[in-house]
Amino acid sequence: MDSLLARIEQRVTQAGEQPCFVMGGPVTIGNAVSYAQLWRQARQVAAFLQSYHLSKGDRVALVADNSPEYAAVFYGVLLAGGVVVPMNTSAKLRDFDNWMAHCGARLAFVDFTPREMQKLLQEPRPTRFIATNRRADGVVPDEWKSALQADWDTVLETNPVAAATETTTDTLACLIYTSGTTGNPKGVMISHGNLLANVESILAALPIQPGDRFLNVLPFYYSYGNSVLHTHLVQGATLYLENSLMYPNAVVARLQSEAITGFAGVPSTFALLLSRGKVTEHDLSSLRYVLQAGGAMAVPLIREVQEKMSRSLYVMYGQTEATARLTCLPASQLDAKMGSVGLPIPGVTIEVRRSDGTLCAADEEGELHARGGNVAQGYWDNPAATAETFVDGWLKTGDLGRADADGFLYLLGRRSDMIKSGANRISPLEIEEVINEIPSIEEVAVLGMPDAVLGQTIAAFVVMKPNQTLDVRAIKKYCLDNLASYKIPKQILAVDALPKTASGKIQKHRLAELIEEKS
Amino acid sequence: MSAKSKIKLYILENYLFTDDNSALNDDDSFMAQGIIDSTGILEVVFFLEEEFGIKVADEEMIAANLDSVNSLVKFLERKQAA
Repeated sequence: MDSLLARIEQRVTQAGEQPCFVMGGPVTIGNAVSYAQLWRQARQVAAFLQSYHLSKGDRVALVADNSPEYAAVFYGVLLAGGVVVPMNTSAKLRDFDNWMAHCGARLAFVDFTPREMQKLLQEPRPTRFIATNRRADGVVPDEWKSALQADWDTVLETNPVAAATETTTDTLACLIYTSGTTGNPKGVMISHGNLLANVESILAALPIQPGDRFLNVLPFYYSYGNSVLHTHLVQGATLYLENSLMYPNAVVARLQSEAITGFAGVPSTFALLLSRGKVTEHDLSSLRYVLQAGGAMAVPLIREVQEKMSRSLYVMYGQTEATARLTCLPASQLDAKMGSVGLPIPGVTIEVRRSDGTLCAADEEGELHARGGNVAQGYWDNPAATAETFVDGWLKTGDLGRADADGFLYLLGRRSDMIKSGANRISPLEIEEVINEIPSIEEVAVLGMPDAVLGQTIAAFVVMKPNQTLDVRAIKKYCLDNLASYKIPKQILAVDALPKTASGKIQKHRLAELIEEKS
Repeated sequence: MSAKSKIKLYILENYLFTDDNSALNDDDSFMAQGIIDSTGILEVVFFLEEEFGIKVADEEMIAANLDSVNSLVKFLERKQAA
């Protein structure tokens, strides 16, 4: 059967010793991993899992920043017939416990460098852990050993499997958890067929070529980074890994020094690079294509990217529930259709519908519905959320938009009150749930506020219990202990009461006005 | 209070929301440990400029100068000596 794995394996045969990943710094031995090395490691991961009696469909968690090991585990789990569950590395212990329990992962590959990950080893858990990382000195700390099932060296001592476990188009390949509250996790079910369909569609829309040098700043655990990984490996490119945008100068310098040909970001990536990266002082003429997705980017920022980075900017739109991408506005049409996210990519159909389900006329606002081989199977063990979002073969995106007379789509906002900050889609409910656990808090409402760089930042309005005073630092500390850092509210304000409708629904728009008045 | 203490307290209070000194080791990488993100590091630079009267050039905004309490202190000492 044709599959993503088959496509990559074919590329491995052709690309062989070509670098597949290059870490920071120049390409040297030890700093680069070839296609052949990656695939051998993936086959070793598969054999290791089989030695632990992994059955077809068993979930295996993966918590690691971008690295060759991440990719080896991702493909290794698929080769063994398992379902890989990549998790956001900035999440907190309660998230990991919640997700691992929900998907029933018996095994998890984890990079234990961050202290939050090391907490996983402190108490017995139903999941058994394999470390993907090694310290620079090659030593696995003693305090980890007793809690670890195996370390990466053990995996690499395994004899590789000869062939992939047989799968079909409908075989589940991957679960990606999007935001959700403790009682309502949403793990998007992506099949082998979904992965291949989306890779094919994206490659038909973008000019990625064998030998491209792509600088990657997107986390692979998100669907956008996940699709960048697969499409570039299928096409035989080299991925230069840059795991942080903390130092935009370093990222831009690398675009020049490595003569990078491809780059992708979300709106905040470009805002950071252009404001602090001294882009115009570097020669970026090697860039053949720049990709933008992860939310609508303001037109002035699009023009700045065109002027200062590359004329070859491809604007895209997608969702995890669509495996990754849904539309693309080719660089050649960017000026004519400025502000649009383009046309559906090959294999995808999009309709703009009114709330009664009928089709909108040209330029009429409605909700975007999508259909195609890339639309996921639903949410893992969450039939209610699945029934709400996946209807009659169509994905209800929750995004509001319009299509012009030529069919080009324009995004106009979200139907829900989800917050989009940087590349992250954040559920206000999840933050409210955590803040509500603080004993001094009576009630809380969380909403997104406009931000020039991140798109939105988070504001929390709290009503204190009688005789309690607001302690902003204590609330932030509690959030830090229980939420990924990008979910910590930037602003916390005390109010006497939350504005509500007669039926008791909180009027968040009135809270937003309150902040605007104060600033 | 020494420059090191001031820097450490700033990081503790603003990114770890505590004044517990043991919550942060002086060599902990802000990036690897997920303590500070891309917008936070700019706030750290503003703090250094305001508190110690130095000017941080864009090209000095690299991990070697800014990624831990110790690297910040060494960077500050170099700037003040120059």
